[in-house]
Amino acid sequence: MAEVMVPIGPQHPALKEPVNFRIYVEGEKIVRLELDLSYNHRGIEKAAEERNFIRVLPLLERVCGICSHSHATAFVKGIEEIMGLEVPARGQYIRTIIAELERMHSHLLWLGVAAHEIGFNTLLMWTWRDREAVLDTLEEMSGNRVHYNMNEIGGVRLDLSEKQVEAAQQRLPVLEERIAQYVDMVSHQETMLLRFRGVGKLSKEEILKYGTVGPTARASGVDYDVRRDDPYLVYDEVPWNVVTDSSGDVYGRTKVRIGELSESLKIVRHCIENLPGGPIRVTSAPKAAPKGEILSRYEAPRGELAHFIRTNGTDKADRLDIRTPTLANWTSVAKALVNQNLADIPVIVAAIDPCLSCTSRMTVIDTGTMAQGSISWEELVRKCRARYGTEVQP
Amino acid sequence: MSVIREMLRNLVTKPFTILYPYEKAPIPCTFRGEVAIDDDKCIGCSKCSLVCPPQVITMIDGPREVEFKGKSLARKKRPQVKLYKCIRCGLCERHCPTGAIHLKDTLSGCGTDKEAVIM
Repeated sequence: MAEVMVPIGPQHPALKEPVNFRIYVEGEKIVRLELDLSYNHRGIEKAAEERNFIRVLPLLERVCGICSHSHATAFVKGIEEIMGLEVPARGQYIRTIIAELERMHSHLLWLGVAAHEIGFNTLLMWTWRDREAVLDTLEEMSGNRVHYNMNEIGGVRLDLSEKQVEAAQQRLPVLEERIAQYVDMVSHQETMLLRFRGVGKLSKEEILKYGTVGPTARASGVDYDVRRDDPYLVYDEVPWNVVTDSSGDVYGRTKVRIGELSESLKIVRHCIENLPGGPIRVTSAPKAAPKGEILSRYEAPRGELAHFIRTNGTDKADRLDIRTPTLANWTSVAKALVNQNLADIPVIVAAIDPCLSCTSRMTVIDTGTMAQGSISWEELVRKCRARYGTEVQP
Repeated sequence: MSVIREMLRNLVTKPFTILYPYEKAPIPCTFRGEVAIDDDKCIGCSKCSLVCPPQVITMIDGPREVEFKGKSLARKKRPQVKLYKCIRCGLCERHCPTGAIHLKDTLSGCGTDKEAVIM
């Protein structure tokens, strides 16, 4: 049978963000996938390099709307290490509470999206309803549902009051009951079993070959989690387990994420119950960082997030390179789709929990010498103005 | 079975959503709403303007005698905030030494007039 190319995107009703898939099919079976990413380049790395360590954090939170705390924490963690700052224990605990609540809201959101992709909208309504409890807790603690802006160099911006802690503790049993229901449901629910089992399978060898990270990798038996293998914040003090599965399909990825919901809840409960006293930040954090380079790793809800930071002795980063987990996971999608049904594309793509606009990066290549490199913010703005003939604010 | 159980439970429980306009959503004390400036407290130090991520705070002329830590100061400048360009991150409030600039618990709304200011 002849191959047929099915183009999807960059603008398509099934897509939430711009990406272009060229799917080659033989009948209903997918033969291969060609991906075209980066329709939403924002020059965020260069913009970050132009701002000092105080002003850059709200910008970095906006790399991703779901894992906003992840990006800010990865950055401050790196800068604090370069500066040699010791963050007070209470500050670290508050950062961990926000990080795990963020993971819970991200996984609940994902579960709803995955359910929606298979037409199981009842579960979408349930998970998004339960996600409200997590978002309410986050809003009470930080003042915002999405961009918490809790981090600053040397600690956190806001302390947790007794009232906030009590309100969070009251919500935890409700969430625990709901999560237990999802754990039970994933093993029995016929719709989920039919649409998730055996779909988008990836072996452990393939996962390692393509450098896949996060719940996608753990669902194929790769026992790796930055929180345990390169501990940061207070993960080495909290009792918790890395959730893995051996099935390697979308069903496995669902089980891992639901398992992580339970673990995150355990971590939040432990941190809230054992919240130490004392200051939430260092008394006077230095404004400038000494010359240095660091690769700051963080286990974001979607997988391992890496911030490469180079400082030059000033109050701005000389170079910031952000490798988001979705970028690491894309190649595995191209592999997972082969030999699958055309109708399973949405759920296989959704299974890595893609965050497309966070991944857009740019490399400048000189077509003559083929030399690769990056350009400054001013040069990027100048090139944009020349290309589009518009006024772009620096 | 769990779907039917949940359905029966939902039949006898209150709606999950808030019955607006009869009820209003509770606003947490940490809520970051519209930015406001208490001119009596402002000493014109420009810290808010320096830390503002979208750079929407400009220091304009506002000479005045102000009290700070028991001393009398001759202030020269005062902040002016572009209301609809503000991202309400709260950094100005966090870095203000006197609590003059702060975020209220009321919504700032949205608008197309990018030059609308609060003084």
